[in-house]
Amino acid sequence: MQGVLFHIGPVPVYNITVTSWVIMAILALLFYFGTRNMKRIPSGIQNVAEAIVEGLLNFFSGVLGEKRARLYTPLLATFFLFILLCNYSGLVPGAGMVHGFQPPTSDWNVTGALAIVVFFATHYYGIKVHGIGYFKHFVTPFAAFLPLNLLEEVARPLSLTLRLFGNIFAEETILFFLLGMAPFLVPVAMMGLSVLLGAIQALVFTILATSYIGAATEEHESH
Amino acid sequence: MIKRGWLARVRQTVGGVVALSSLQLILASPVLASEAHGVPAIEAYKVMWAIINFLFLLAILYKFAYNPILKMLDDRKNTIESSLRHAEEIRVDIERMKQEAQQNLMDSRKEAQEIVARAQQIGEETKAELIAKAKEEAANERARAVAEIESAKEKAVNELRDQAATLAILAAEKVLGKAITIEDHQKMVKDFVNEVGDRLC
Repeated sequence: MQGVLFHIGPVPVYNITVTSWVIMAILALLFYFGTRNMKRIPSGIQNVAEAIVEGLLNFFSGVLGEKRARLYTPLLATFFLFILLCNYSGLVPGAGMVHGFQPPTSDWNVTGALAIVVFFATHYYGIKVHGIGYFKHFVTPFAAFLPLNLLEEVARPLSLTLRLFGNIFAEETILFFLLGMAPFLVPVAMMGLSVLLGAIQALVFTILATSYIGAATEEHESH
Repeated sequence: MIKRGWLARVRQTVGGVVALSSLQLILASPVLASEAHGVPAIEAYKVMWAIINFLFLLAILYKFAYNPILKMLDDRKNTIESSLRHAEEIRVDIERMKQEAQQNLMDSRKEAQEIVARAQQIGEETKAELIAKAKEEAANERARAVAEIESAKEKAVNELRDQAATLAILAAEKVLGKAITIEDHQKMVKDFVNEVGDRLC
């Protein structure tokens, strides 16, 4: 099969999987060293780690409110950081050409997997907050909307999957062809655009996940 | 409100349907294509790897990033809050101490003024007392002197009277040549003394 680097027993390990591991290692090392010896007055890499987490926390607080942002920041921030680095990994020379190095988000199995996590997390948190009453929203405003509501629940992860995959895959493909046709200077324009696109797509995915979880865990009683 | 909710819902649903149908197209094409060109479609292992990787990353970041950093943010927030509260307390303390010092200063100034005033008053009183006492003493002295003079005068007058009486008797004896009775004598003398004494004094 294409994209398989090696096998662990019967399980194939793909290029994108190895790239994911590298990205995970980078994030893990950044935060490991950033939080290894935390001081009240931060310096050096601790500043970086804190700025990232605090920035994301503030961003989610704007959408979810401070209390819920505290609860859901770990999941949502992980989406953002992982997707962002996956997207940017396509800009590193050799991406897609070297064995074991392919941007994970340019494969829809990965974006689909992330969307599946969003899907289950949304309903998990919804049920956790509202209990069995969570399912009531499937039949609002009345029972006839059940099929439409269910369809919406299915459409969400699909749109998440395809939007991220489509953007990054297209970007990678264009970059690949540009490099093939005019390897000198010409791809720089596209790479500059990719920097923007990678951040925007990571942000869009995260904002949508945030709003899904936010809608599922909203306290209706407070209205 | 409900109507608008419906509209949004219908619009979302239509969007969903469009997404679904496009997905069907996209889903179908690689599956079809994979038979022709060997392009992979949905691969369960890739999805499995991606989910495992993501959850693993979530766990790692939870341990190394979110947990310690959120704790540190809370910690710092608490520290700053307590520092600010502490500073506010100190400020209030200083304000109070300043007021107290001001009050003390005013009190002692007032007290000093009172002391001076009292001293002045005492001085005045003492002065008046001394003067009064001196005056009184002087008056007493004068009165005593007057009394002494008075008594001396009295004494002198009496002595003079006695001597005058004796002289008169002697003179009368000489003149009359005979003694008179004591009673007559006495009467005569008295009359004489009275007469002469009045004239003498």
